[in-house]
Amino acid sequence: MDCSEIISALKSKFPDFVALASSQDHPDELRLKVDPRIFKDTALALHKILSSPVMMLFALDERRERGVFVVNGVFCGFRSSQWVMVSMDIPQDNPGFETLAKSMHSASLFEREIQEMFGIEPRGNPDLRRLKLHDEVWPQANFPLRKDFQKVQPGNLGEYKFGRVDGEGIFEVPVGPVHAGIIGPGHFRFSVAGEPIINLEPRLGFTHRGAEKLFEGKSYLEALKLSECVCGDSVFSHSLAFTRAAEKISGISIISQAAYLRAIFLELERLYNHVNDIGGIALDVGFSYPSAYASIIKEAILQLNEKLTASRYLKNVNALGGVSVEINESKKTLLLGSLEQIKRDFNELVEILYSSGSFMDRVDTAGVLIKKTAEDLGVLGLAGRASGVAIDLRKCFPGVYKEAKFKMALEESGDVLARLRVRIFEFVESCRLIEEFGGKLSSCDKNKVGPILKEGCALGYVEGWRGPILYWLKTDPAGMIARCKIVDPSFRNWQGLAYAVLGNIIPDFPLCNKSFDLSYSGNDL
Amino acid sequence: MKILMIILQLILFIAAAPFLSGLIAKIKNNIRLRQGPSIFQPYYNLAKLFSKGEVVSQTASWIFWVAPFVLISSTLAAAVLIPVLILASPMHQMGDFLALVFIFSLGRFFLALAALDTGSSFGGMGSSREMFISSLVEPALCLVVFSISLQFNSTDISAFSGMHALSVSCIVSAIALFLITIAETSRVPVDNQETHLELTMVHEAMILEYSGRSLAIIEMAAYIKQMILFFLIAQIIFPIAALETVEPAQTIFWLLWYLARIIIIAISVALVEVSVAKMRLFRVADFLGFAFVLGIIAVVCAILGV
Repeated sequence: MDCSEIISALKSKFPDFVALASSQDHPDELRLKVDPRIFKDTALALHKILSSPVMMLFALDERRERGVFVVNGVFCGFRSSQWVMVSMDIPQDNPGFETLAKSMHSASLFEREIQEMFGIEPRGNPDLRRLKLHDEVWPQANFPLRKDFQKVQPGNLGEYKFGRVDGEGIFEVPVGPVHAGIIGPGHFRFSVAGEPIINLEPRLGFTHRGAEKLFEGKSYLEALKLSECVCGDSVFSHSLAFTRAAEKISGISIISQAAYLRAIFLELERLYNHVNDIGGIALDVGFSYPSAYASIIKEAILQLNEKLTASRYLKNVNALGGVSVEINESKKTLLLGSLEQIKRDFNELVEILYSSGSFMDRVDTAGVLIKKTAEDLGVLGLAGRASGVAIDLRKCFPGVYKEAKFKMALEESGDVLARLRVRIFEFVESCRLIEEFGGKLSSCDKNKVGPILKEGCALGYVEGWRGPILYWLKTDPAGMIARCKIVDPSFRNWQGLAYAVLGNIIPDFPLCNKSFDLSYSGNDL
Repeated sequence: MKILMIILQLILFIAAAPFLSGLIAKIKNNIRLRQGPSIFQPYYNLAKLFSKGEVVSQTASWIFWVAPFVLISSTLAAAVLIPVLILASPMHQMGDFLALVFIFSLGRFFLALAALDTGSSFGGMGSSREMFISSLVEPALCLVVFSISLQFNSTDISAFSGMHALSVSCIVSAIALFLITIAETSRVPVDNQETHLELTMVHEAMILEYSGRSLAIIEMAAYIKQMILFFLIAQIIFPIAALETVEPAQTIFWLLWYLARIIIIAISVALVEVSVAKMRLFRVADFLGFAFVLGIIAVVCAILGV
């Protein structure tokens, strides 16, 4: 679909549609600017036409340049391989817009974020409690992502009200933010009737570091380092999403060798995380033997990473225009050789799990997230595919994956077993992809690009191991970053977990949680 | 003489009980291709805990303080009920086999109360789960007691000590007791001692608020209870005659076999723990229901005399 097709499709959905401006700076990105009055209807129409959840909804502070705030909504045409971004200007006095969340649930978290970070009110949104700036410590009327924000001004502190379930025999069980294991901080408020969970409300944001604010004013190299620290288990995919956005802005196209290398590292990251989670699922049901086995495989992959890149978690690998490490013949032999062993061990692990009745009994039918709920919430990535949401950015925007005939994992049942099966399928598929790409590597010159960005804006996207990681980047005339909006899949999928555990018993929560394995730092930013 | 035996037996239980847990942990770790902590780690832990101070919830009442002592005294009382060093139970006039079941309940009751006492939500969950499990354990344990009593025509524990023939009833009740032991010692698949996940805990959730010396006492009680149960299983399925001579060679052999049978049980427990996943909480009823059915079979076999 190109620009005119989208516009005519929008017109047929609702005749009043008028685009104030439309542009296509990048082949995969279409931008529409509309009047604030029709923003909501346009967004809803795009939601229906493209059958896409809200991929991003975020604000920009352009009061200094133009005296307005800008709100952008991003949707994805999964079949047409195209991103559609609709934006509107909001006057700076008493800023607000009509809520989308009442008609499109996947917008609700984004609206809460806009409200707390910019003070732009989504009018009519029934739930405007803050997500990341906790009311107990962050005074009201401090909006940190506004450009004129310097430091926190003292003011009234508020109170966070959890959703309550009333009724006889309903108890509230508060868990966290400090947990017994070495995991991130998150508070979970369970309402239970005996053991079954009636309601779960996660409260996150404890690791909010102001990542998006930190990006502002940084040069490309500083920002690249920062992107590697946003989410510790997705170092490579986050930096890749960031770099892709930067490359689009500067008009750099990468050579195929670099694309193969990037795909290899992306899949290596997927491998170690998937096997880690498979081991984690086994450990959380007290099945310690396969869990120990999985940790051996994970360690083998991490050591392979280190031998290839000098970093176990693939830091300092990405660069503008390619990757900073080379894979010569001996490394290639090492990669393919290690992969053989990893595949053998992994098959053994899967065999142990599938042949254990006690294990299968735990994962089967536990924590079901049905497809309708997943779609409404905008759950994507691994958790989405386990619930029948057939979306994988590697399929929609294939690039080099097309040559390798990438096969997407898909399950329908939405339970812990389905998420486990998706992981197992993807592990095997990733091994195959690495072999495929590894076979095509040849030594060649590196792309030489200076680390200076042009002015512009673009969207960078990657299917990380958890799901789609999106970076929307805007640079100023000096090539410094003016705004960087990050959406980690954890942000959209935490709500999926809250629905998946309903009706399950409390002792099964850790298992459901592990099967999603969402990131705290990726969510909290 | 009898007093000496009682004291000796108590010392034996206190000294040897932690070793069994260390051994099980070691075996499990070795199966998982890990080195794991030393076999004597439980002793180090106890020494550490005894030398530490305690942090006590402000809402805790006297029950919280008293519970560890009730628990350890009831467990030690159970330890002197069973014949270990000599053929007769040292304190058999105090109670019989059935008393054992209820002495265990006493400690559990106080621990469950203490867990509720602190007002922590985990303690409450732990207590409710423990009571759920124990309500299933006790009938099964009673049936095992009945089948043993029927076979030896007495509820006195001394009756079945010493050499006896291995009947079908013995074997079935030993298996039932093994399943009960797994539940009572909070091991996989019923509970998981190693877990860090508060929401899945049963026994650990109850004692989550304890620290320092009180925790050490509770741990000690758990070790002793485990050893008592192992000893009972061993005595049912691997009966051993009393030591008659004092010849050194024979004494050593006797002693080795005496220990080996308990270690065999410990190894079996370790193997069960690594080879299955923990059950869903409400499936524990099926597991212990199975132990109950085995108990009934054992009773029927005992009546039939097989």
